[in-house]
Amino acid sequence: MVQNERAAVLIPVQEKADLGMTALDDFTPLVRSHQQRIYRVLLGMLRDPDAAETLTQECFLKAYQRRASFRGEASVGVWLLKIAVNLARDHRRSRLREFWHRLSSPFEDVAELGQRLPDPHASQERVLLGQEEVATVWSAVEQLSPQQRAIFILRFVEEMSLEEIAAVTSLKVGTVKTHLFRAVRAIRQRLKGGGAGE
Amino acid sequence: MNKHLSEDQITECMLGTRDDFISRHLATCEACSVAAEELRSTISCFRDSILATAQRDDSFWREQQLAIREHASAKDWYPLHWAWVAAMAMVLITAIFLTRSPNPPQNKATEDADKALLQEVQADLARDVPEALAPAVLIAEERNEILTNKEQTKSTLKERR
Repeated sequence: MVQNERAAVLIPVQEKADLGMTALDDFTPLVRSHQQRIYRVLLGMLRDPDAAETLTQECFLKAYQRRASFRGEASVGVWLLKIAVNLARDHRRSRLREFWHRLSSPFEDVAELGQRLPDPHASQERVLLGQEEVATVWSAVEQLSPQQRAIFILRFVEEMSLEEIAAVTSLKVGTVKTHLFRAVRAIRQRLKGGGAGE
Repeated sequence: MNKHLSEDQITECMLGTRDDFISRHLATCEACSVAAEELRSTISCFRDSILATAQRDDSFWREQQLAIREHASAKDWYPLHWAWVAAMAMVLITAIFLTRSPNPPQNKATEDADKALLQEVQADLARDVPEALAPAVLIAEERNEILTNKEQTKSTLKERR
């Protein structure tokens, strides 16, 4: 599977044409196997399902356009996440886009996202407590810098190793760890301080 | 009893990079163990909420795959599109050059002067005598006319006689 994915990007277009394949033919399975993860990371970073959907498409289009520049040094997944994280960072930088987004988009607020807990069998009290805590974490994560947010999501949502995160963010492992310490500390302080409304 | 774990040591537990000291402390200190477990549980709930939010129907993913394929396909044609535009521009420029007059446009005043000069030359060529001899021709014509008149008068008088 991994070999196929590498081949999808690494085999030159002319060779594919000789084999009767188009570049898109083997790019589509790659999209299929990575789109959910890319969408999840973007959702965690942006807290906006619409933007996450748009940027997921943009991520794969960029990957398709730049497939000639993929050297196979890292895995295809890491390469795609790198593109996605950069896109999310650029998206956040665009203050104008954010302004219009706030005016027009019905993006879900912290409490709404916090309510999406998967365990329907938990006690009512536990569910409410969990929702409050999750909302607090969402709120705290939003206060992190884009880089810290990306690192936090990659570690605790995607459960990636520090080495993989370092490859995605082009940072040293030590720097990734420092960012994680700061991010967790900020979240703990927020949790100690109270709810999401703070 | 040792002092409690620091923030960073609790985070080490989260990262799975805790050392023996932290492991031993957690085994004996309930407060730190609860703090670490609470943090782990909260972050785990946060993870679950993202996973739940990111859960979409199969149709959503299929539509996205199609959209990506469609846009990628359009981008494949993009360079060809520009090649087509460049070819059309070349055809247009060639057509403009071909339909243009081979002579460069002249100043209208110069053209009028040339035309007048040509007409003058043609008029000169059409003359029986050069322009300089025109008065002499006029005198000769008048003289001939007088002579003709005299001869006519003489012949008339002869006829009467």
